[in-house]
Amino acid sequence: MAEQPTTMYLDISDEHFRMDSEEVRKARATHWYARTDWGIAVLSYEDSSFLLKSPRLTQGSAKWPSQHGVFEGHFDRWWQKTLLVLEGIEHNRIRRLVNPAFSPRRIEPLHSRFRALADSLIDEWIDDGQTEFASRFAAPYATRILCMLLGIDEHDWKKIHELASTIGLGLGITIQENIAQIDDAIVELTEYAEFLVRSRRESPQNDILSTLVETRDEDAGKLSDQELINLIILLIFAGIDTTRNQLALSVEAFSRQQDQWEKLAADPDRYSAKAVEEALRVNPIGRWISREAAETFQHKERTIEKGTTLHLFTLTSATDPAEFDNPDRIDLDADRSPHFAFGGGLHHCLGHFVARADIGVALSALATRMTDLRVGADAEWLPDSGNTGANRLPITFTPRS
Amino acid sequence: MKIFVDRIKCQNHGLCAISAPANFELDTDGELQYHESFDEEHIDDIEDAIDSCPLQAILLNRDAA
Repeated sequence: MAEQPTTMYLDISDEHFRMDSEEVRKARATHWYARTDWGIAVLSYEDSSFLLKSPRLTQGSAKWPSQHGVFEGHFDRWWQKTLLVLEGIEHNRIRRLVNPAFSPRRIEPLHSRFRALADSLIDEWIDDGQTEFASRFAAPYATRILCMLLGIDEHDWKKIHELASTIGLGLGITIQENIAQIDDAIVELTEYAEFLVRSRRESPQNDILSTLVETRDEDAGKLSDQELINLIILLIFAGIDTTRNQLALSVEAFSRQQDQWEKLAADPDRYSAKAVEEALRVNPIGRWISREAAETFQHKERTIEKGTTLHLFTLTSATDPAEFDNPDRIDLDADRSPHFAFGGGLHHCLGHFVARADIGVALSALATRMTDLRVGADAEWLPDSGNTGANRLPITFTPRS
Repeated sequence: MKIFVDRIKCQNHGLCAISAPANFELDTDGELQYHESFDEEHIDDIEDAIDSCPLQAILLNRDAA
């Protein structure tokens, strides 16, 4: 019998569990995966890169509501038809139709609007030398950009933010106790999405939603109205909290490396894209990408049985010393391998070019206007698992003159 | 015109293969295989593949014969 490798156990549901800990570094140095209560945690860069794109692994998220006591309703019906859950032909048909609307050339013309929004939010508190970054920048910035993309009146941003947060409860383990409220939010957003689609059909605008409506009309029947509405709800669900939290995580990461913040401030055109990649690498909002084995297969010495859950640890793989020099430090001049903060394979994040562009614009605006950036000790962070981020992020700084 | 894929950038995510299956596919090892030449009828699909690539690793070399 082959000798079994030594692997470590990681208690990822413990409230004190930290991705950036000696325990996880030790587990990664020990073997390419660790054991957890929910399947295996893939830790190395090499194995994460391979497994992320493996056709033998699927998202495995269809069962999420039923595993937590929700078997029907508006949320469940929507969830089962989102790109996050669909696989195979149906997924690929929709994904293929919507991809081009999110391409860099569609997003590039929006950069100046992103910058104007960032500056207007910063203007509100720059003279105070302090702010609560999560509510005074990250939330309005992320939400209003999504409004811009979909052509939603930006005055409605607080309502959209609230609906997005409510639907976000559908990803929490308390989904069952919140389901009435979540279902109501889906109904409300469905009506809103129907209105948006109708108005874009009557008078097309220069926004992503108009592009998507055209996709449907030109390819008659290929992308149905229902699929378009499901997608709009998905964009609101997946595009707001992620960006909001990634902004907070990025600011926190740079506050620990003032030299790199100053480098970005001195030449934002040169460094803003690198700043985004480095922040995503060392402090990603999605701490792991979940997959499920669709069949039994062999990976290296390990047989992965059908139905096994795999958590691909993003921060851990992207700070693997086997792949990166000086891995835990942001280095805007380093030539780094790609991280997996946006997942990978056919389920690679749809909106990543939007996120990359708007976070880059935000970090450039923030760095050129604030120095001596510090995060307050009273910051309130979400648990360091799944999707993380800051509920409150008090910061202090010196305004640049 | 010919298709050129930057193999250093390419991460084999496979989004090109769902946009333009006549020219791009992932083999059984998950590695991208592609045809440099294409029929004019597939140009829209190939432009979608270029737009969709997360690494922006696909180019159309307009000078190639």
